[in-house]
Amino acid sequence: MPRKQPTEEDLERRKIVSVNAETVTDVTSTDFPGNWPGENHAWDIEKVIRDTKIEFHQNEPAEASFSLIGVDASIANAFRRIMIADIPTIAIEKVFIDNNTSVIQDEVLAHRLGLIPFTGGREGLDNFMRWLPKPKDNEPIESTYFDYNTISLELKVTCTDNPDAAPGEKDPRKLYNHGHVYAKDIVFAPVGRQVKYFAGEDAIRPVNPDILIAKLRPGQQIELSMIMHKGVGSDHAKFSPVATASYRLLPTITILQPILGRDAEKFAKCFPEGVIGLAKVTKEEAARQGSGYEGHAGELKAVVVNPMLDTVSRECLRHGEFKDKVRLGRKRDHFIFNVESTGQWESDAIFLASIAHLKEKARKLEQQVVDMVR
Amino acid sequence: MSREQYQIPTGSQQTFAAGGSNTVATSTNREFETGIMHYTCGDCAARVPLEKGAAIRCQKCGARVLYKERTKRMVQFEAR
Repeated sequence: MPRKQPTEEDLERRKIVSVNAETVTDVTSTDFPGNWPGENHAWDIEKVIRDTKIEFHQNEPAEASFSLIGVDASIANAFRRIMIADIPTIAIEKVFIDNNTSVIQDEVLAHRLGLIPFTGGREGLDNFMRWLPKPKDNEPIESTYFDYNTISLELKVTCTDNPDAAPGEKDPRKLYNHGHVYAKDIVFAPVGRQVKYFAGEDAIRPVNPDILIAKLRPGQQIELSMIMHKGVGSDHAKFSPVATASYRLLPTITILQPILGRDAEKFAKCFPEGVIGLAKVTKEEAARQGSGYEGHAGELKAVVVNPMLDTVSRECLRHGEFKDKVRLGRKRDHFIFNVESTGQWESDAIFLASIAHLKEKARKLEQQVVDMVR
Repeated sequence: MSREQYQIPTGSQQTFAAGGSNTVATSTNREFETGIMHYTCGDCAARVPLEKGAAIRCQKCGARVLYKERTKRMVQFEAR
């Protein structure tokens, strides 16, 4: 088969998902992503290392935003799914209710408690805490409860009248003691070596202490103990370490013909702020034949400043004056991730853990393939 | 053994070992053996202690409607 080198334009076109006025084209990935007929695209680790890039835009414990560039959608999606469903966290799993005279039903209370995100010392959570094993036949479930797989918590609150409340007070938080039960009322009861791993700053605690669990009135009481286990999001959403883990493709805006003056201002208004800027046409541009700027020196022209901020609303395609002057698209291999942590992990650590997890999965698959052909 | 069959509560069922050795039991036993039961007055919500054979009547307000208190037995739920 004759090999024809793809032109620079071809290479650029392959990377773009076109966003047209009514349609979105070139959306599908191929069966062999990155392979084209008559060209050599053999997988090469050097090429992967050269082409793959990660750039952080925002990196805070609770939220991270970064670009993953140069990978196929299947890889980016694998990371997203692993972050949601496969990275382990601890959460309340069983609730032992001794007394609950509040208006909230036992089942609902237990469910609410399960959804509260907790955090604690990283060393203890990562290296000390292990999975809860299945009990052997005929053995009670408690037979597998050890300090390295079970954390116990207690919640004991009784609502009473507050004698110091001002007369005519209407706010139940001032009128009563413990009128509201918050996540901060949950007490960690360390057992065994947990005393060492979850001491002081590293204690198991709710990430957000002000989560409202229940409301009480004088005489009502909640008395319960809870146990937590390690789990994954594929089992129950309460174990998911992320609030959101999503990606979008980088939008591209290509101005094909000059957009000048009033049109440029209107064009900028078609996009969110900061996407399109206005710049003066330089003398060199105006002097160049065939650039479209001849005789427009000093006028304002529209320039693309930051396509990352674009929402790809396609507003500019609705206006006749921009017909054939602009082309919208998305970059096929540029994934802008947004990862929001629930607090047990740092948001960037969740992504790093997802990479390690995918590696581990691949290693297991490799072993199984080897066993299969043997 | 049937689940409905009555058992005298003997503290919490929840026990788990620390490091595989010493077991921990959280025990909160109540005024059960004394024979005095507590009820809640339907009128004034006071906690009324009643002995066996005593008149069903609130000592505070004299109301004749008394409610049984919630069970003292632990109830286990899955937090799901």
